Parts: sequence; C-alpha cells; structure tokens
Amino acid sequence: MRVSFVTVRKRLFFVLAVGAVAIVVLLLRLGFVQFSMGDWLSELARDSWSRDVPFEAERGEILDRNGEVLATNVSAPSVIAAPRQIEDPEQSAEQLADVLGAGEDKVYEWLTKNQSLVRLSPEGRKISKEKAKEVRDLEIEGIYIAEDNKRHYPKGKYLSHVLGFAGIDNQGLTGLEQYYDDKLKGEAGRVSFFSDAKGRKLEGMADEYEEPTPGEDLSLTIDAKVQTIIERELDIAEATYNPDGALAIAMDPDSGEILGMSSRPDFHPEEFRDIPAEVYNQNKPVWSQYEPGSTFKIITLAAALEEGKVDLENDHFNDPGYIEVSGTKLHCWKKGGHGEQTFLEVVQNSCNPGFVALGERLGKDTLFDYIENFGFGKKTGIDLQGEGTGILFDRENVGPLELATTAFGQGVSVTPLQQVTAVAAAVNGGYLYEPYLAKEWLEADSGTVIEANTPTMRQQVISEETSDEVRNALEHVVAKGTGRGAFVDGYRIGGKTGTAQKAVDGKYLENNHIVSFIGFAPANDPEIVVYTAIDNPKDTLQFGGIVAAPIVGNIISDSLSVMGVEKQQDQLEKERNWDDEVLVETPDVTGKSLKELHEAYYPFQIEKEGEGNVVIAQSPKAGEKIREGGTIRLYLDDKSNSSD
Amino acid sequence: MRKEIQPVDKILLTSLICLLVIGLFMVYSASSALGEFSQNDPFYFLKRQFIFTTAGFAAMAALMRVDYWFWQRWSLLVLVFCFIFLVLVLIPGIGMVRGGARSWIGAGAFSIQPAEFMKLGMIIYLAHYLARYQKRITDFRRGLFPALLRIFAAFALIMMQPDLGTGAVMAGTCFVLLFVAGARIRHFFALAGAGLLGFIGLIASAPYRMQRITSFLDPWSDPLETGFQIIQSLYAVGPGGLFGLGFGDSRQKYYYLPEPQTDFIFAILAEEAGFIGAGFVVLLFGILLWRGLTAAMTAPDMYGSLLATGICGMIFLQVLINIGVVTGLFPVTGITLPFLSYGGSSLTLLMAAVGILLNITRHRTDYH
Repeated sequence: MRVSFVTVRKRLFFVLAVGAVAIVVLLLRLGFVQFSMGDWLSELARDSWSRDVPFEAERGEILDRNGEVLATNVSAPSVIAAPRQIEDPEQSAEQLADVLGAGEDKVYEWLTKNQSLVRLSPEGRKISKEKAKEVRDLEIEGIYIAEDNKRHYPKGKYLSHVLGFAGIDNQGLTGLEQYYDDKLKGEAGRVSFFSDAKGRKLEGMADEYEEPTPGEDLSLTIDAKVQTIIERELDIAEATYNPDGALAIAMDPDSGEILGMSSRPDFHPEEFRDIPAEVYNQNKPVWSQYEPGSTFKIITLAAALEEGKVDLENDHFNDPGYIEVSGTKLHCWKKGGHGEQTFLEVVQNSCNPGFVALGERLGKDTLFDYIENFGFGKKTGIDLQGEGTGILFDRENVGPLELATTAFGQGVSVTPLQQVTAVAAAVNGGYLYEPYLAKEWLEADSGTVIEANTPTMRQQVISEETSDEVRNALEHVVAKGTGRGAFVDGYRIGGKTGTAQKAVDGKYLENNHIVSFIGFAPANDPEIVVYTAIDNPKDTLQFGGIVAAPIVGNIISDSLSVMGVEKQQDQLEKERNWDDEVLVETPDVTGKSLKELHEAYYPFQIEKEGEGNVVIAQSPKAGEKIREGGTIRLYLDDKSNSSD
Repeated sequence: MRKEIQPVDKILLTSLICLLVIGLFMVYSASSALGEFSQNDPFYFLKRQFIFTTAGFAAMAALMRVDYWFWQRWSLLVLVFCFIFLVLVLIPGIGMVRGGARSWIGAGAFSIQPAEFMKLGMIIYLAHYLARYQKRITDFRRGLFPALLRIFAAFALIMMQPDLGTGAVMAGTCFVLLFVAGARIRHFFALAGAGLLGFIGLIASAPYRMQRITSFLDPWSDPLETGFQIIQSLYAVGPGGLFGLGFGDSRQKYYYLPEPQTDFIFAILAEEAGFIGAGFVVLLFGILLWRGLTAAMTAPDMYGSLLATGICGMIFLQVLINIGVVTGLFPVTGITLPFLSYGGSSLTLLMAAVGILLNITRHRTDYH
C-alpha cells in the first residue's frame, strides 16, 4: 500500500507538471494570437466588419499644351443602400422611386435584398448633383450617397480618337485615356461603416472616411488652336468631298511633339455606346496603313542626296512618259511624260521615271537602309495603342521592279504617322524623333509639374546639308510644282503631294485613291509638319495636289499664325498656270475721292462702308497681296465735313 | 484512517467563485445581442445562467457535505444508471437531436446530457475500481483490461450520439486516472497506439471530423465553411490585444461568432478583456488544477486521491481543449469552457463535481 501510494504521488506530481506546462502553452498561444498575430487579425477582422461605400477618385484632367481643358469630370454621385439598416423599406422605396424615377417595386426589391450593400443601378447610378441632394434630403437611414463622377469632354468630338474615352467605372477604354489609365485614374476612397454580421450598424464604431486620391493631370503636346484648325479643315473637306475618310497630323519637327491629330469619321466620346466600335477603335493616323504614293519620294530624294547620287540643279533626266524596268513599262502619272528636266524639276513634277532612276542609282540595299532608318517598317513609338508597323518588301524578294516601285512609293505600306516622322527628320536637319503626346504630368490641384517628358531622338538619318537641300527642293514643289495648291503668300511652305492607289485583294481600285499632301513651313527652319490624307474624295480629280495640298496650306498658314510665327518676305515666287488666280498688290487708295477711284479702273470689287466721298481707310492695307478681281473694303467719310 | 473534519480548501473555492462571477458577466456580454434578437430580452441568457449557477451552488453545497465514501459505496449503481441513460438517449423519441447529435434527454429547460453525467459517473466508478484492485493494475488481463472494457463501452455509446468532444474528455480523464493509479507505462504506449488508431478510424468514418482537423491547420483555406468558426474566433481574440476592447464592446459577438455564449465564450473574453483578462482566467484554472491535485495528494485514502484526480483531470482537459480551440491550437470539437460557458446541465454537473472535490479537501491529511 505504501509503495503504491508513492507511485501515485509521483505520478500526481507528473500530472501537475504537465498541467503547468499546458497552462504556459495556452498563455503563450494566447499571447501569440493577441500580440504577434494581433495587428494582422485586427485588419482582417476590420475588413470583415466594415462595409465600404466607395468614393471614386477624380480622373486626371487632360489639357492642351497651354492648359486648355480637353477632358474633365462632372460630379455624378451614386446611391447605395444598406438594406438591413432601412427601417421602413416600403415608405423608403416610395420616396426613392419618386426621386430617381424608377419603379417602386424595383426600388423595394433593392431595399430588401439580402445583401449588405446594394447599388441602385442603373437609375441610381451616376445621377446629377441635384438629384443626389434630393436623395440626401430624404434622410433615410441606410441610404448612402457615394461620391462618383463621370468623364466630360467639353469640346465634344474634338480630338476624340487621341483622347479616347473612359467607361462607366471611370476606366480608360481607348486612346490616351486607356494608354495612361494608371496615372489618370487615381485611387478610390471610401466611407466605411462597421456592421454586425446581420448588416446592421455596429454601435460605437464611427464611420471612417478615406479620401480618394485624384489622378494626375495630363498636359499634352497638342496645341488646341492648331487642333481647332485641323478639325475645321477636315470638316470642310468632309463637306466638300464626301470622302470615305480623312485624317490630318501636325507635328513639331524639332521635337516629335504632336501638335494636332484628327481623322474622320470621328465621334463624341460621351456617346461612344451608340457608335460602331471600329469608328472609335481605329485611330487612323496611327492605325491605318496604305501605299503612301508620291510623298514617299521624299525618302528616295533624301537618300539620293545624302549618298551624292544626284545633283538636282545640274543632272538632267528625260522622261518619255514611262521607264522600262526588267521588261515592264512603268508609266509616269503624266501622259506623254515630262520630257527633258533637271532633277529639281523631276521632284517638282513628281516624275515617276525620274525617281525610278534615283532608286536604281541608290541600289536596293542603300535605299532600303534609308527607308528603315527613316522609321518605316516599325512602330514610331507614339504613346497610343494600336499603332501599325507598315509593310515593306522583304529585301530578299526585291528585284529591279520592286526597287523601282518602292522608289516612287508603291508596293510599300506605311502609316500616316510614319510619314510625318520621316519627313520631319528629312527637313529638320536629319534627326528622327519619336512622336509623343504626353508633355507633362501635373499634380491634380496645385498644377505643379510632377514629370515632364522630353523629346526622344532616335538617330540622325541624313546630314544637315542634305536636309537643307531636301527643304529647298520641296519648297520648289510648292512654289513651282505639283504642290502649288499649298502655296501661301508670306509663309515659305515646302511639301510633296501623294496620290496613292488603294489595293483591295491584291488589285488596285479604279477611281478610288487616297490623296495626300505633306507640307512643312517655314522652309528655312520648319516649325510644323502637316500631313493630310483624304480617302476617296468625290466629284473631283483625285490628285493630292488638288484636294489635299490646299488643306495643308490652310492648316499651315493658320497654325503658324496662331503659333506666332512671322511671315517672311523672301519666298520663292509662285509659278502660275492659266487657271491660277493672279495676286496683285493692293494699291494705296486712302485719301482719294470716289471720283478718282472710278477714273483709275482698279481691277477690284469695291465695298463701301460709311457715308461720304473720301476714303479714310482700306482693307486690305496697301501693299498686301490680293486676288485679281477680289474685294477691297473702303471706309468713307465726308472730307468737306471733317475739314470744316 | 478517518481524521477530524477540516474546513474546505478556501483557495479552491475562491478561484471557483471568481470564475463563476466572470462567467456570469461574460455570458451576459456575449449573449445580450443574441438574446435581444431571438428572445427579445438581452438578459434572457443571463437570467437562465444565473438560475443554473444557483442550482450549481446548491448541488455543490450539498455534495460538499456528503462524505465521498458515499460514492465509493454506490459507484456501481451510479455507473449503471449512467449507462441506462446513455442507451436511452440514443432512442429516437426519448433522445433529442440538437446540433446534429442525439445528446439530450428530457424536455425544454429541464433537458440534460447523459454523456455529461457519464463523465462524472465513470470517474466515480473507475476511482473505486482502481482503488480496490490497485495491486492488479500492473496486470493487463486481470487489472487494466476490465477497466478499459467499461471505459470503451461508455465511449462507444457516446460516440453513437455522436459526441466526439465529450467522449474524448471522458476517455482522456480515464487515462489520467489509469496513469496516476499506477498502470504500466508500457501498457500506456500500447494503449496510446491503439487509441491513436481508433481515433484515426473515427475520423475516417466521418469526413466532417477530417475537415475540422484540416481547417484548424489552415482555416483560411475554407473560410466560409470549415474554417469559419476558427477564423471568427481569431477575429475576436486577435484584436483584443493586451487590455481588450472593454466590457460589452465585443464586435464578434454580433452574430459573427456563432453561439458566442457557449463554446466560444473565451474568445469574447479575450476580445473584451484582452490578454490580461483572458490570462487571468487561465491562471484561475491553473490554481484550480493545483489545489485539486493537492487535494488528491493529501486525500486520506487511494479512493479519495483517485476521485480528486479524476475530477481535476476532467475539468482541466475541458479547459485545455476549449481554449486550444478558441486560440486555433486544436480543431473545433464542441467542448464548453467549465464554469464560464452558458449551459445548465454542464454547469450544474461540474459544480456538483467540485462539491465532491471540496469534500475530499475536508478530509485532507498532512502528508509527512
């Protein structure tokens, strides 16, 4: 008995020791959960208690380079219900249905849903501020107003493809809105209330407000004034020619900054739901690819000059109207040909056989090296989605015929933007830039610059001297050649026409061309490069020089004017054709009497303003050029009266 | 062998009363929301728990005065009655199903869980058996095996309800008793092996047990189903921190934690009173264990020693398992926390057991 009782005691001590260890383990575990895991668990628990009413962030605004607002937000709050906090769903449904204009049964269904938070969508989604105030004034417990906003594009269709648009959740869907969505969208805030597991508010825990962080504002390289001019010109072109499509790009050749970009058909970004997807998804200036036609000759010209293969003034070329390459006759666009010309005249006349000759002088590899160096066959790198790369001949498959057609812009496929960047490089001293749209990122409210983008120069393609020669030749094209439609008095414009055939299923279409023109000015130091292409203009001769050149001329001259570039005197005189309008200097007629004017037989229409018989002012002013037969406005006064 | 009667162990009694008072406060705090929701009375559960506590005190005070040899005399009868009830509860129409197990007998507020009684009944009987046949306990066939057979019979009946938690506590308590009584360690290892195999078998036979185990290893793998209770429990314990959120300020009791006033009352305690409060309660249980085992050591005879050991072991095993579950240390089993959890039959029975324990302390001898 004794001995066994000792065993029992020993074992009881052992049990007590185990119990003590167990207590220590429990305390350690408790401490571990409450201290070590405490913060983590608290956060998870908080998440499980809190119900978030979202406060959407304001998207960053999009501005032009001078701060003009192109995309902004308007407040559009949403109504959110916490059904389990609503005491009288029937009455609340009645009141809400009235304000929101939704069916009472539908609202009642929302308010009684077995969910902790219900969005009253769509009737209660993104409503007006006034409506939101009405809802708030109902003071229904369990009805929350979540701050939200919707995108507003104050200029409507303006710049629509570039800007793109944001969807119902303020997410960028196309264009810059999509490309820079991460920076524009900001971060949503929230009001959190704490709820028990049945969805009712937990007493003693205050609502928490987390402020949304607005997105950064984006300042573009776009110049709203230039863009306005482009939009206007495309509208006019659309009205005049009823084309299948139209596009224009303006770029600063010294940086690659895009000053303007537009295309037709366009769309209103706030109504994107009613518009076919291909309209807003295809930003033609960067997306479309087609045969460039003669504008491409600038590349051949630049290459030939850089390689010393041609002396424009002194080398001559005889164009009989065609050139034979490997037994195939390649015709010049002009029947009968241009005859004997200098190569400068070859450029002026956009003479196809002349460019074939230049291509042959360069040889396949050299020409294709230049084409690639000028950026064709790959993306330009612009900050937009959906850019095309274009298609070049595979070098191994290039025979004499392919070389010949490539030299004058056929058999290759390029994007409009590729042409603009390439030509910018050809005329800016030879520097190929990456085009870009995002100029600066600004802090939302202060406007402080957070990040400024700088131009990216990819490579120098040709020398400054060659570039100078290219500019000179292209100025001749506008003054004396096929590009005369773009001539503007006082601005030295250089440029090149293009008339590209459209190929469908491997065959060229009849009477269906993309007519284009690429121009730049001032020719001695270009500030702007403008490209316009009109797809299948109706009721006109489909030539770039006739349709596209005047548009580019208008865009350039108005743009330079709003950009503050002075007119110059020493431009090449325009060579006239029989159908050209003759410009004459306006005579000085101030101080003359009406009688004197009649005797002088000036070749103008006269419009009189005011009473009297003596001219005191005139418009245009003396010395300015005016079309023969144009109108001069005269401001009259009575000399005898004024001298009394 | 009998000494003169001494006063009851004051330390033991004081810590018990502390636990009971804390229990009443916590039952109120944990259940007021639920009471208001389901019974339209925030004090519903408190009132009832107060009645149970009073009944428990009456039982304790009565048994405190019954010399424990009474139980030795009637131990076989106690065991037989317990077995009868355990069989009865399994019969549909007599036994009632609550929470998926046919564990209850009786009607409404006067229903009891026979398995609870078996826990104590088995201790009363086994202490007697072991005290009487202590010399044979090292003999497997003649000493240990007959005891095991009775234990297993009770365990099997409890598992038919099924109630793994109560069965495990009962079996665990019995093993502590066998160990203290001097069973061979070698036999224990063999038993442990067999027990483990049986345990695995039980788990394999009911997949939900396996889910409970895996969910305890990583509750977040299935946060809405099997891991739900553990996660909700940790959401209460974790944010409690050092000082807790304050009395009545639990958030998890608002329907996040199912039945916060019963199995998970310790989680609400840890949430509202923090590590300080919860740790204090753990220490009170520690004191209870210490005083209880001291009673076992100073008991005048083997039966008293073993009876005290069994009662202590039963209480402390439940504490260990319940707090282990609440803090994510063990899989969810459905064991209440002694003296704190809401519940009539469990509380009354436990206090009756403490009454027996207190009587043993009255006969304590100063061992040399």
